[in-house]
Amino acid sequence: MFSFKRYRKFILPLIILLTVTEGAAVICGATFGKLFEGLYRGIAFFGNMYPPDWSAFSEMLEPALQSIVIAFLGTVFGALMSIVFALLAASNLSHPWVRAVTRFLIGLERSIPEIVILILLVAAFGLGAMPGVVALSLGCIGMLGKLLADIIEEIDPLMIESIESVGGNKLQVIVFGVLPQIIPNIISYTLFRFEINIRLSVLLGAVGAGGVGYELDYSFGMLQYHRAFTAMIIIIAMVFGTEQFSYYLRKKLKMEGALK
Amino acid sequence: MLEVKNLTKTLPNGRKLLDGISFKVKKGEFVGILGSSGAGKTLTLRCLNGLLKPDSGSVIIRDELDRPFDICKINKRELRRVRQKIGVIFQGYHLVKRLSALENVMIGKLGQINTFRSLFYGFTDAEAEQALKALDKVKMSQLAGSMTGNLSGGEMQRVAIARAIFQSPTLLLADEPISNLDPSNAKTIMKMIKPLSEHMPVIGVFHQPEMTAKYCTRVIAIKEGQIIYDGDPKLSNKRLEEIYGEELELIEQQEHLLAAIAK
Repeated sequence: MFSFKRYRKFILPLIILLTVTEGAAVICGATFGKLFEGLYRGIAFFGNMYPPDWSAFSEMLEPALQSIVIAFLGTVFGALMSIVFALLAASNLSHPWVRAVTRFLIGLERSIPEIVILILLVAAFGLGAMPGVVALSLGCIGMLGKLLADIIEEIDPLMIESIESVGGNKLQVIVFGVLPQIIPNIISYTLFRFEINIRLSVLLGAVGAGGVGYELDYSFGMLQYHRAFTAMIIIIAMVFGTEQFSYYLRKKLKMEGALK
Repeated sequence: MLEVKNLTKTLPNGRKLLDGISFKVKKGEFVGILGSSGAGKTLTLRCLNGLLKPDSGSVIIRDELDRPFDICKINKRELRRVRQKIGVIFQGYHLVKRLSALENVMIGKLGQINTFRSLFYGFTDAEAEQALKALDKVKMSQLAGSMTGNLSGGEMQRVAIARAIFQSPTLLLADEPISNLDPSNAKTIMKMIKPLSEHMPVIGVFHQPEMTAKYCTRVIAIKEGQIIYDGDPKLSNKRLEEIYGEELELIEQQEHLLAAIAK
């Protein structure tokens, strides 16, 4: 026989969750009716976009390459800066004050979305790839800087002592005791960040960093939906290709022992 | 020569970890420090190269020009300079696992070469050759290019000894160098360390009275932060009981077991 008492601890939280969700949906107007209406319109719109305008394909290759280059440069500069920030933010290498300030800066950077950084940078540098590269580089510091700093703090302290015990200075401790130990993590997280940066470079392109994201935004703006479809195909291929490349590289490095 | 005077270290709760440790060690001596767990052996050793600052006392070491330095009182820069000539073989072979055996040996001279050059792994051919010779002395030259993390425990400890040889120190410290090794590897390592004491004082912390009796020239026993014995390495059962107390039975069992395995 059903006993309310028995299921009380599950039913009450469920009712509360459903009520809160329903309330939130009503407040922001996200109802099921609207969802189905939107889906229907979306499918109809997608029908209008088909077929893609293949004549625009060749002129979009350069912007696509530009997006990849922005992501690549943003990742390389970002990773290099992240290593410096991570070394300064690690409690086992850095002075407590330097660590506190660096951790604060990393946290501050993480709390600002890349798109906000880009809007600020566009005001400073103007439209183009440059603000995109800087925004993605800064974006890396928030994520890679924190992850690497935490990993450095986990390094066996005796590994550091071992370099210090032969008279090695701080720089030598970093180059011989710390970096060799965290290189697998640097490679792995940098590749992961590159995948994220490829997606972000498209998004940032639409806001003013150029590249294929700009082409997509421009095509929609000019109501050239077939052209926009071509841009979407290129973007999907780009993101998928990058993920495959990153997966292949990781596998290869693992096989050669670099990521052991 | 090394002179340790009245080392003390006390915890905030008043427990004395080191309580007036004093001894002298000269070239040609291979001193084994014995004691039960927590007696203060490793703490004493860590004070000898400045990895730990005692509350009071001094550790006087002389450089190549016979100038005395008190490790407990010198500044960081001088400490780095003095450490260039103190070789350390750590418990658990604290080598950098992702560097090759040869690179780990070369780390021994980091303090003695130009910092800028060292940052780019810019060791000279002569230095590489010397490092290889050091590896050859411990019969590890064939594995010079292997990643250290892939070596066995005994091999890693031999690399650590090669590093100390390459460093050409004036004092060698060994913190439980054979603790993690099987009896046959432990013997090999002791045989490799012993001849080094002809050129410099060697001080090691050990848990194996049998080994110290066989290879050391002198034994210092520490109990509750104080030296309770300093003399001949061959210790009587009564003395061992005094040093280890209840732990002795466990050590004897271990040694019998290891001897049986070795046979």
